[in-house]
Amino acid sequence: MISALRTLLLCALAIAMLYAMRESMPGYGDITAPIAVRGAVGERVETQDFAFGAASVHLARAVKVESFGRVKDYSTSGVWLIIEGAAVAKTETMTLMSAEWQAGNGVRYALSQRFSTVSGYLPTERLEPGLPRPVLLAFELPETAVDKGTLLVARSLVMPLAEELSIALGDRKPTEIKPSVTISRSAGGAPWTLAAR
Amino acid sequence: MPVMRRSKIRRRLLVMLVTGIGGMAAAAISFASAVYDAANPVAVPTIGKGQTVDTGRWRVTINDAHMSSTPPTGTKPFEPKRFLLVDLELDNRSMASSNAFMNLITIKDEGAPLQPKPTYYLARDKWIASAINPNMPEKLIAVWEWPADRPEPETLSLSIGKQIYKPRDNLYGAPNWFGDGEAAVVALAVAQAAEPTEQ
Repeated sequence: MISALRTLLLCALAIAMLYAMRESMPGYGDITAPIAVRGAVGERVETQDFAFGAASVHLARAVKVESFGRVKDYSTSGVWLIIEGAAVAKTETMTLMSAEWQAGNGVRYALSQRFSTVSGYLPTERLEPGLPRPVLLAFELPETAVDKGTLLVARSLVMPLAEELSIALGDRKPTEIKPSVTISRSAGGAPWTLAAR
Repeated sequence: MPVMRRSKIRRRLLVMLVTGIGGMAAAAISFASAVYDAANPVAVPTIGKGQTVDTGRWRVTINDAHMSSTPPTGTKPFEPKRFLLVDLELDNRSMASSNAFMNLITIKDEGAPLQPKPTYYLARDKWIASAINPNMPEKLIAVWEWPADRPEPETLSLSIGKQIYKPRDNLYGAPNWFGDGEAAVVALAVAQAAEPTEQ
């Protein structure tokens, strides 16, 4: 009787242990997740391969893009979050292919693909080692996702164990949402200029 | 002593028999249920236009369908073409932006599948749509180029696929979304093209 009870208890213990081990084992996604390098808007954040700094953040209801004399309108049902910054490669020529906005609740918003024709847009900009380039990023977000958000920048989404910048917006949150922002080409310095209206 | 040994062997035999029968029963039940499920597929509901399909990851509403000679951009193609335009509404309910909906909505048809795949436009500014963000429902227009050798359809059946999230897939144990059959079939009438106006 006692021995049967002991066997049963041992069985239950083994099942509980196996369950706990199964639940606590990190998945493949966690093991190969990018390594976060933290920083804030307004400072240069370094990884081994590249450095990136977000300089200024703007919010707008609509974006106009001037190119070759034509003006294209880009509307959104939320807000446009536009980030101006600079990036530099360190070891080899590269392109920063992945940029995401992570809202406070963990929802990830991909970089808008609608400005791929604007010069200086991050995923189209080729970065040479040692030559910093001004870069532009734009996200389409619901208004509630702007607060407590972080910008995630990495070389690629599919590179396991690569470094990923996690740049907090902090207190650099733009105070007002502009009705419209125009992106146009500029002659010197940055390849674009932003004009609010 | 010999009595003890015999009882021990008997006990072992009993254990082997019980585990063997149990294992075989489990295998048989699992196989039979798989066969039964394959033989009796759950009927996919057929719904009309304007009704929302909850596929888990997406909420899809097919609003309307019509034929047209111009794509939503308004630029008439150089060679006359016919387009099937489907107005739909999408809501991404997952944690990340995604363009997986582009493979989930297909025309259910006896004939050969339409090629190429549809192009999706944003209804609000007629720009080609890419990934749809979570918490931002979007109105889209799916555009199929209608083959010249086919008569214009009067009714249309759209199959809405669904996806299942696995926190650990069977190959790597990585989290991902996987196809999971059909969520619903939407049947609706196709409005014919308005008289083409000269441009």
